[in-house]
Amino acid sequence: MIFAKKLIVALASTLALAAHAQHDAGTPVAVAAKVALRGDANGVRISEMRVVRRNDILIVQADLANSGNSDRTVFYRFRWLDNIGSQVGDGESWKQMGLLGQAQQTVKSVAPSSVVTDFRLEMNVER
Amino acid sequence: MSRLITSTLLLCATVALSACQSLSSPVVRLDRQVNYGDAKSVELVTNEFGSTDLQMIAEKMVGSLLETGIFQGRPTVTISTVKNKTSEYIDTTNVMNSIQTTLVKSGKVRFVRSIAEMQQGVDELQRQNQSGMYKQTSTAKIGKMTAAKYTLEGELTSIVKQNASTKDVFYKFTLKMIDVEEGSIEWQDEKEIRKTSKR
Repeated sequence: MIFAKKLIVALASTLALAAHAQHDAGTPVAVAAKVALRGDANGVRISEMRVVRRNDILIVQADLANSGNSDRTVFYRFRWLDNIGSQVGDGESWKQMGLLGQAQQTVKSVAPSSVVTDFRLEMNVER
Repeated sequence: MSRLITSTLLLCATVALSACQSLSSPVVRLDRQVNYGDAKSVELVTNEFGSTDLQMIAEKMVGSLLETGIFQGRPTVTISTVKNKTSEYIDTTNVMNSIQTTLVKSGKVRFVRSIAEMQQGVDELQRQNQSGMYKQTSTAKIGKMTAAKYTLEGELTSIVKQNASTKDVFYKFTLKMIDVEEGSIEWQDEKEIRKTSKR
């Protein structure tokens, strides 16, 4: 009885985790906090993210790496936020980027205004 | 007990199934149905110049301009010509409008009337000052316009290659910001776009 309960809890936890744990294991936790990923990463990890404020404008660069051998198509855009977490502007357009197997590419964007203090990288990866 | 296990397994299976379903990507594809879609989606209907190209060009140019810090002191800027050197009909004014809108909203720069917008300004000034219908104290005075320190000039070119199975289009948008008084190019950047389609 106790074993059965433990099994159920473990199974439920694993499946619940599988439904949410979409980031690739190679994406650092601090980076993952800035990424709004839809679905599974399909082997694409964000190895590094660099944020700098230059001329009072936030500039973000993210390194996307495909750890698999198959090519991937990444759809992404940056969402800019002010100091209370509200979105600034209408939002960027979605961009499509091909990522070859075992390749790395850097995506970059510049905030549209000085009021931007935070951001999220929205993305999904097609197989 | 067995009912509990069965129902839990059923729930888990449902969760697992929903997690496995493939998600749709933010793209616009040719479809018989009519929908209001996301204006920011990646448009893949044909490989001709489209909304995503316009948006990507505008975002790249605005980002590059803001990043350089060339707009210290909110200088005045005007838009000059944007040449379309591609074989397609493309309203390049639209690209410049998007760039201007984002730059104005950034608060970093002031735009003054372009050559294309000048006649409307002249007409309004003449109406206020020469029609005799307005109070002298309320009219906008002639000769008070602020001239542009910088002018933005651009061009869009394309290279098209195709064979029996593939069509490849390479677009290049170049934008320059020129100091009107000195004639020097103070900033310049390019946006390259490659679109390949199967025929």
